[in-house]
Amino acid sequence: MTDKREKILGEDTVLFEHIYKTGKGFYITVSILGGLVLLGLYAYITQYQEGLTVTGLSRQIFWGVYITNFVFFIGISHAGTFISAVLRVLKAEWRRPISRASELTTVFILMFGVGSVLIDLGRPDRMLYAIRYAHFRSPLLWDICSITTYLTVSSICLYLALIPDIALLRDLGEKREWFYRILSLGWTGTESQHRRLDKAITFMSILVIPVMITVHTVVSFVFAMTIQPLWHSAIFGPYFVVGAIFSGVASVIVVMAILRKAYHLENYIKPIHFNNIGIFLMAMTLLWFYFTFAEYITIVYGNEPIHMDIFWSKISGKFAPLFWLHFVLCFIIPLPILAIKKYRTIRGTVIASISIILGMWLERFVIIVPTLTRQRLPVEQAIYIPTWVEWSIFIGCISLFMLLYVLFTKIFPIVPVWEIREGREKAVSQVGERIRSYLPDDKG
Amino acid sequence: MELKRRGFLTIAGLTLLGLTAKPGWDIFSKVELPEPSPTPERLAKKKWGMAVDLKKCWSLEKCKDCIDACHRIHNVPDLGTLKEEIKWIWPVPFEKVFPEHELEYSGEDYHQKPVMVFCNQCDDPPCVKYCPTRATWKRKDGIVMMDFHRCIGCRYCMAGCPYGSRSFNWRDPRPFIKKVHLEFPTRTKGVVEKCNFCEERLNRNLLPACVEACKEKALSFGDLKDPGSDVRRALYHRTIYQRLPELGTKPKVYYIL
Repeated sequence: MTDKREKILGEDTVLFEHIYKTGKGFYITVSILGGLVLLGLYAYITQYQEGLTVTGLSRQIFWGVYITNFVFFIGISHAGTFISAVLRVLKAEWRRPISRASELTTVFILMFGVGSVLIDLGRPDRMLYAIRYAHFRSPLLWDICSITTYLTVSSICLYLALIPDIALLRDLGEKREWFYRILSLGWTGTESQHRRLDKAITFMSILVIPVMITVHTVVSFVFAMTIQPLWHSAIFGPYFVVGAIFSGVASVIVVMAILRKAYHLENYIKPIHFNNIGIFLMAMTLLWFYFTFAEYITIVYGNEPIHMDIFWSKISGKFAPLFWLHFVLCFIIPLPILAIKKYRTIRGTVIASISIILGMWLERFVIIVPTLTRQRLPVEQAIYIPTWVEWSIFIGCISLFMLLYVLFTKIFPIVPVWEIREGREKAVSQVGERIRSYLPDDKG
Repeated sequence: MELKRRGFLTIAGLTLLGLTAKPGWDIFSKVELPEPSPTPERLAKKKWGMAVDLKKCWSLEKCKDCIDACHRIHNVPDLGTLKEEIKWIWPVPFEKVFPEHELEYSGEDYHQKPVMVFCNQCDDPPCVKYCPTRATWKRKDGIVMMDFHRCIGCRYCMAGCPYGSRSFNWRDPRPFIKKVHLEFPTRTKGVVEKCNFCEERLNRNLLPACVEACKEKALSFGDLKDPGSDVRRALYHRTIYQRLPELGTKPKVYYIL
């Protein structure tokens, strides 16, 4: 028995520990998160009964925290794909230990992106009308199509890469053996199975990249397709995609740091991983700044009164504190941390990432809300202060996301064991081979 | 014929797909047509429009007859707050409705005078293309309709309308209606509503309520295609303004100065 266990776990015992060992920390985390989820649920029930009157929304500013969350959550979901699919296609070997953690972020947070729109509906009981009476001229339908595709494709990606690990758990035959047996689809790890799995994962990885770009492009189209000042902008598609990858990669860094600490994965998720993603995040910081700059300088030079009204409300008006805070959080704080090698440590990248995540939520907010204050008819009393219901639902969403994440790690390993082993056994020699193929041939 | 497992599954799958495709399509593609008007052919020949004569309107100060009539017969609730206000027709100062006609040195005194605004019944209505469920659509006679029973309350039409003509029911409006007018539906919480050019009255050959209520005859209504109609006669040889014509929405509400 122990022999078999030894053989399966090998030197990667720590990767299975979080499945079989349940400490006090687990129960505390789950109960805190569960409590917060209940708070969110209570807030939603209140809203369902009373109507959206319990929010701070008004006739003038009719979209707020929920729609901001929609854009923000879907933005975060872009990281998983980026790290696992793009790095896989580019054959970046350092992705191995973090690919599952990032894919899981994608799949789980995406559900909350969709959920935020449903929470925002005045008549959630009629939500299926959007399918039954689908009107494809509406950009919301484009969202429904692309987000559904994205959720399907990224769930399949996540599952495919899980199969060999599920088989390992099945072979261990301890807890829930029947469950793993069904999900492992008869995986035995033969050469031909590995070849087919590799083909399938590569195919899905390539497929998911254009889908990911479409998703955030059409999310931006919800705003860009209207004729409202500062929404109606051709740059919004790529601007939102860049912002999405930016906030998503930052979230993955935070997730990595938490997992590393909580599940003792110091030997698997190493400073080099934080350094490598940190460099990428720095590039995204600059790219984000470039888009923001291009967007606003165009408005200033166009000098159209209706646009300038909103522009000034962000720069020096009532949205100025939020606008400048988001700029500091998204650019001023993270850039030096990520640019200077000395600070690009685990702690440094995590601080930069938290700053970026907060900043990007605010960015979505200052894109959505100021435009609504001065739609072409100016109304003096356009104030939006989110209520406890909106904050509770927001907190509830994030807590449920974390709770799902924690529960997932109770069932499946969060570091892909087979990918680590494949790296150890095959990739090391393959990479050497690959580098040799780049070099001039030996004449001899 | 030898049937392998894979072959069997393929055939079974295709059969299942074939059998479910038709009913599935029927369910999802079923589009209920808007309630038929009495004579659809007659509607197609018309194009309803409205003219607001501002000078006539300003001759009676603080008059709210048109607003009261409209809100009464359409069961528009009075919530008493700016936050959740629901309105189909309401006054806005001239300088805010027509900032492009506000000239500093003209010496005119009507900057603060009220201009009645309501749904423009655009000929190219932006709101219609944003609605994900076709709960709002343009009828053949040009009226932009709203189906309260299909609206899911996403408020995308409100984002699409540059005139702010649409209101949302943030709470159940029924307790806030003074006296329910039984000939027009009340709304539930969570749906959008707006002016409908009194299409329910047009069906009975009645003028819109606001037009009928105005003692000064400042509002004229009729078929824009008919040169003899009230609205066409009111517009004849006058200086006419429209709200934001540069947006290409082609409003069918005209303001005469």
